[in-house]
Amino acid sequence: MSHFNLAIDGSIVGIYLLGTMVAGLIVRKYIGRVEDFLVAGREMNVYLGVASLAATEFGIVTCMYTAENGFRYGFAGATPGILYALAMMAVGLTGFCIKPLRQSGVLTLPELFERRFGPGVRRAAGVVIVLGGLLNMGVFLRTGGEFLVQVTGFSLSAAPGASGLAAWMQAHTLELAMTVLLLMVAAYTILGGMLSVLVTDYLQFIVMSAGMITVTALILLKVGWGKLVETVQAVHGSGGFNPFAHPQMGWPYVLFNALLNLAAVLTWMAVIQRVLAAKDARTGQKVYTRTSFFFVARFLIPGIWGIAALAALGPGTNSLQAMPRFLATFLPAGLMGLLVAAMLAADMSTDSSYMLTWASVIYNDILAPFRRQGWTERRGLRWNRMIVAGIGAFLLLYGLWYPLKGDLWTYCGVTGTIYLSSMPVLLIACCYWKRASASGAVAAIAAGAVVPVLYLALEQVPATSAWVRANIGPYYSGIAAYLLAGAAMVVGSLAKPALRKEN
Amino acid sequence: MAPLFWKLLAAACLVWYSTITVYIMVRGFKDIREMLRKLKQTRNSVTSDE
Repeated sequence: MSHFNLAIDGSIVGIYLLGTMVAGLIVRKYIGRVEDFLVAGREMNVYLGVASLAATEFGIVTCMYTAENGFRYGFAGATPGILYALAMMAVGLTGFCIKPLRQSGVLTLPELFERRFGPGVRRAAGVVIVLGGLLNMGVFLRTGGEFLVQVTGFSLSAAPGASGLAAWMQAHTLELAMTVLLLMVAAYTILGGMLSVLVTDYLQFIVMSAGMITVTALILLKVGWGKLVETVQAVHGSGGFNPFAHPQMGWPYVLFNALLNLAAVLTWMAVIQRVLAAKDARTGQKVYTRTSFFFVARFLIPGIWGIAALAALGPGTNSLQAMPRFLATFLPAGLMGLLVAAMLAADMSTDSSYMLTWASVIYNDILAPFRRQGWTERRGLRWNRMIVAGIGAFLLLYGLWYPLKGDLWTYCGVTGTIYLSSMPVLLIACCYWKRASASGAVAAIAAGAVVPVLYLALEQVPATSAWVRANIGPYYSGIAAYLLAGAAMVVGSLAKPALRKEN
Repeated sequence: MAPLFWKLLAAACLVWYSTITVYIMVRGFKDIREMLRKLKQTRNSVTSDE
């Protein structure tokens, strides 16, 4: 039975939601140009950037899978967070790729690619980025809703005796609650664009951090560090502390995550949009270096929650649902409200940023051929707002109300790898390799797609399924995708060098 | 040795996170005010040019 108290906890959540909506809507009057809408007029400074980046990259989905990592792998499950932090710190200190990217003055990554590789590569990169981003985002609403239903203890079935509309509403509590939440996020994102996103991210970072720190402190106080260590030792042995010693992790897991996280730091649009919105390249670099350690906390703090759930519920529990089930009965009334507000803050900041990010690529890159005659600022703003609204509608239909028949996580895995294996190769070549050509770029996009799609196909065929899982696995296939995309860029560029006009 | 590493890292996370939250609460608010002031200036100069 959840300790969620509607009067106490509901009031805390209500105050948070009201504050966010007011802050998000009040700044819409400052939006006059497309640049204001997409990158806040490039006036973002360091600390607002840190708050926004941290809030954007931590949603309920993140909390669920990082807690699951703690449950399944012990402390070693926080390894990707350490790798992410190292990658972000290194890129921030050196300015590798992000410095030339910000100095170029572009609004999106594909816009930079066009300058070097031509309009075809710009559109292809735009499609790959949007496809990967939207399919990933498709799981956010339902997973977030399931977490909230678990911790608040709301029933998902109609009460006995209820009929008609009341019964239907009770049976669809999750969908209705998440629809209202998305409509609120969409309202301030559509009206205020990046400016509303930054201001609400600031508030959401504070609420989210207060909740995460308080819950973790309470776990350490009540469960105790010694109990967490004992549990990990008993269930996972030395592999729970060392990823190289864990039978399901090892060096392929570490190497794959190192490549994946470096790729995300360099090209995940929601992350680099903070660099593009920064007032100059130096500010963008500072945002990276000062946010980097947050990514250790992003994995380790929910990881501790997952280990506490393992200690309380035992290893036989569903690993994804263990953490919310544990928190539902562990936290007292009052703190439940803070947790729900923190998680809503985490989810809303991610949703708003992601909606704006993918909208910026659709407007700036995929619709680029239709804007050749030059659109007025007013028309551009109207289109951007319509695209954000369209993405919101897509999320509601695809991710929440439409009953998915396939495995969405698999689609996400494939599209995510297609995106993240080829885009960093294009960016690095674009910034630092003079001989890189459009042919190399196209070859890299194709090669980055072939390996994950082939792996997925072999995994789906019954005759080869067991063999590929045992002999290749997702980590080797992921590593191969990165290496092959890099090799394809080199071979393609040398085989068909760039024309003079491409430079 | 390994549990000690995670203990120190967890302690560092909590200390760093608590500190940066308070710091950002103050400095981030200043950043927002400055950003809105500059955007207002830009809007006013564009309007007066028109």
